[in-house]
Amino acid sequence: MHLPDGFLSPQTYLPAYGLAAGLWWLAARRLRRTLDAERLPWLAAVTALAFVLMMLALPLPGGSSVHATGVALLAVNFGVWTAFLAISLVLALQALLFGVGGVTALAVNALALGLLGSAAAWLAWRAVQPVHEVLALILAGWVSMVVPAAIIALVLGIQPAIAHDAAGRPLFFPFGLAVTLPAVLIPHALLGLGEGLLTWLGTLTLKRLRLRHAV
Amino acid sequence: MKRDRLLLILYLTAVVAATLVHEPSSLAAALVVLLLLAGHDATRLLRRSLRVILVFNLAVSLGYVLLAWLRGISPWETLLLINLRVLLLTLLTFLFISRVNLFRALDFSPTLSWLLALAYSQALGFQRAHAEFRLALASRCLERPRLIDRYRASAAAAAWFMDRALATARESALALRARGFFDA
Repeated sequence: MHLPDGFLSPQTYLPAYGLAAGLWWLAARRLRRTLDAERLPWLAAVTALAFVLMMLALPLPGGSSVHATGVALLAVNFGVWTAFLAISLVLALQALLFGVGGVTALAVNALALGLLGSAAAWLAWRAVQPVHEVLALILAGWVSMVVPAAIIALVLGIQPAIAHDAAGRPLFFPFGLAVTLPAVLIPHALLGLGEGLLTWLGTLTLKRLRLRHAV
Repeated sequence: MKRDRLLLILYLTAVVAATLVHEPSSLAAALVVLLLLAGHDATRLLRRSLRVILVFNLAVSLGYVLLAWLRGISPWETLLLINLRVLLLTLLTFLFISRVNLFRALDFSPTLSWLLALAYSQALGFQRAHAEFRLALASRCLERPRLIDRYRASAAAAAWFMDRALATARESALALRARGFFDA
């Protein structure tokens, strides 16, 4: 779902980097407060897990598939700030070592997927958990797909309005909100159900494994 | 200043510059310069860049052609500008990746470069394992696997990756502590 390079104007990605830099610093500071011999390897392992979860295909009827994000699974099990750092690191690895995603879109992707996706998932899970644990996890997964999709659709959709030439021709992403919102949101509202199932089953598995590994 | 760090700064400056230029001719000239800088790797990097951007850019371009036709405007200048910029940025990134050691470029922060190295090495291992899981499923099926089989395979792979991630975190912590990494 995350954005590729070259479709965002500097008016968008430069302020996004400013905001993300502050939040990365804050997240690292929160993590450093509890930094010990376990914490850094733990973050590296969660990052690698997030990386591979984004490679895993959620099969669809008809033979096609979509990729999971694992955002809600990380947020619910490891906390929002850890998920934010791990997803940001994954996006940086993908952009700077594998050439996927893109450096201009990195901050927007990290804020949308890593921070707001994680925070929305965690909040949805906390709100519904007292009523129904399974429903809370499925909802968290769905929200973690839909909220970043909505933000990315918004960011893409405002490009023609904020970056155009004198004749009104778009300089970056060429479609407005009337196109981006339905085009991005409708498929992701359906795909979110798969992410919800991954969050539920993944959390069950992680609980069992944590007992085995005593972490 | 070290070579890799200098190249990282140059790369980031070039990325910003490419998004500040809105002349297709200037972007095309920059693309030619990049291909010359790539030397023997030019064809390989260009092919790789085109492969990465093909699906998304084709979808955007075809959609914009349709939109422009409905509005009665010419789409070609906008499409040339957007596609040239995306290709330039992608090629620039692949050239950067092929020429620069990112871990050396980021060694001003030992924690960051160490974290990246550890995450990258594990991610590479996971990537290889993921490819092997996919091949294993294909090799065990005479026909195209059913939906339920693909779900089971994905679930088993996810469980294995989570198990490995937890085990690796523990092993890395023990190894680093044994070598006195956190003593300073």
